[in-house]
Amino acid sequence: MASDDGSGSHLPEKKEEVAAGAGFDDLEDPRFQCCVCLELLYKPVVIGCGHMSCFWCVHKAMHFVRESHCAICRQPYNHFPSICQLLHHLLLKLEPVEYKKREKEVLEQEKSVDTYSPQIIEFLNSKDNNCENGEDGDSKLEDNISKTTPEVPVDNAINGHPKKIKLEDVSCARCKELLYQPAVLNCGHVYCMSCLPFLDDEALKCQVCGGLHPGGFPNVCLDLEHFLEEYFPEEYESRRRKLQFGITQCTPEGSSPGTFCTKESMNRPSKQETYLQQNRDLSNVHVGVGCDSCGVYPIQGKRYKCKDCTELVGFDLCDECYNTRSKLPGRFNQQHTPDHRMELDNTALYGSVLRFQRIPEEGLIAELAFIGPGGMVQVVDDHEMEDNSEDEQV
Amino acid sequence: MSSSSSFPTSRFPFAAGGAGAGGPGGGGGSGSSMRPWGSSGGTSVSSSGKRIQKELLDLNASDCSAGPKGDNLYHWLSTIIGPQGSPYEGGIFFLDIVFPLDYPFKPPAVTFKTRIYHCNVDSTGTVSLEILKDGWSPALTISKVLLAIKAIITNPDPYNPLVERIARLYLTDRAKHDEIAAEWTMRFAR
Repeated sequence: MASDDGSGSHLPEKKEEVAAGAGFDDLEDPRFQCCVCLELLYKPVVIGCGHMSCFWCVHKAMHFVRESHCAICRQPYNHFPSICQLLHHLLLKLEPVEYKKREKEVLEQEKSVDTYSPQIIEFLNSKDNNCENGEDGDSKLEDNISKTTPEVPVDNAINGHPKKIKLEDVSCARCKELLYQPAVLNCGHVYCMSCLPFLDDEALKCQVCGGLHPGGFPNVCLDLEHFLEEYFPEEYESRRRKLQFGITQCTPEGSSPGTFCTKESMNRPSKQETYLQQNRDLSNVHVGVGCDSCGVYPIQGKRYKCKDCTELVGFDLCDECYNTRSKLPGRFNQQHTPDHRMELDNTALYGSVLRFQRIPEEGLIAELAFIGPGGMVQVVDDHEMEDNSEDEQV
Repeated sequence: MSSSSSFPTSRFPFAAGGAGAGGPGGGGGSGSSMRPWGSSGGTSVSSSGKRIQKELLDLNASDCSAGPKGDNLYHWLSTIIGPQGSPYEGGIFFLDIVFPLDYPFKPPAVTFKTRIYHCNVDSTGTVSLEILKDGWSPALTISKVLLAIKAIITNPDPYNPLVERIARLYLTDRAKHDEIAAEWTMRFAR
């Protein structure tokens, strides 16, 4: 048919793609495909609902005026999470060739727009290289110590190659054991679901970096869970048994972690709802500006902009992060330091953006190509914005 | 560069219709020196192009086919065969698919090129489908969109119609509606 003829003209390119596609199908685990770019996840970001995409795929899909929705489950969220370094290193080991290829591609794209994703120090990689010689000995030692996993070498033999991922690569940030029902916080650190309620429950604060996790209790990252279940069947099962035993032990106390969890998740959404309601009032929204510390996007209320950062994306903080003086680096690899001067900035406020463009109050159909100081760029239908402002007035 | 007031002047290029049907080379971005992510920069074109090519490879739906119309990867033609058991049975419907340059972050524009008597498709071929507007998600693919269109052909949604007359007939006199639809299929979609 005509369509087939049409595609024929792309044959040379297509052949390459076929080859690449075939390579991708051979991936250790096809579930680590990004649902947005349909390629191997690169610098994975896990949203509170447990779904993940590449750093840029999440960022580009976020709405710059309103709350954003997960591409898969459409759950609303307001914060751009940090890269999950555990997953990053996991993928780097699991798919070294493909991952390096993606790294090269993305870096080229980043260069062309002069905006970069955070650089991740490959400390695990260097450690891995050091270990490589003594790897077998190490793993055997571990096996002997843990005793519970005599089958592991057998399993390796079945696969025909030694396991690329070690238990320590996928351990919980709190209990340091194999992750069981992994949940990723906004800061990118991964915990067992059962380890989360024991954190500072008021604000769900990360133990490693101290970052707050906004927007309700995170869901289990199912893709990672299924991977762990398959990759470490015995260990995962033993973790399951242990934790179930632990829960039965806990129950006499009154609140088992399980019920605590559900209670939390019952409470949290209400908080988020109020946030979403606030968010509908667009008058104090800074269009396309995100906070480089907590990741809230767009910033609502006061916005502090760095006067000394020279990067194209700039460096901005929301009121809360400005006051808590968070020392987190920027989300786009900015060279921001605490001695930079910050100032209040209102240039991107919803109202002033519309006014500057001299957009009439009604009858807008033209499209707006837009780059925000947060590095976020999208094309938005103006009538969409109009709709919103109407909602606001009603 | 980014100090104080540079934002309004340089970072807010007003590209009228920039994300339209332009090809990989001829994007909008009228007069902006920036090559922003997601709109008309060379980058996003290559990444959207890659994704479209990937979708092209994954397309193996049985009774609908799609592919680029000519050299332009961003302009596809698709055919949907009228579902069996519906008044559109036996018809072949051509659809135009235009991908925006920031695909998949914006939905593709899908229009019927073949006339169809359907309460959710108007005379210009516009389809009213939630996932092609606000309900769009970057995780959706063309094959899923075509599946949704096929579903809406079989099961029209007369409560959110684009052509009210047809919707009213569909609700009040289904037999008459089906008769006209079959007649139109014979006339236009053969």
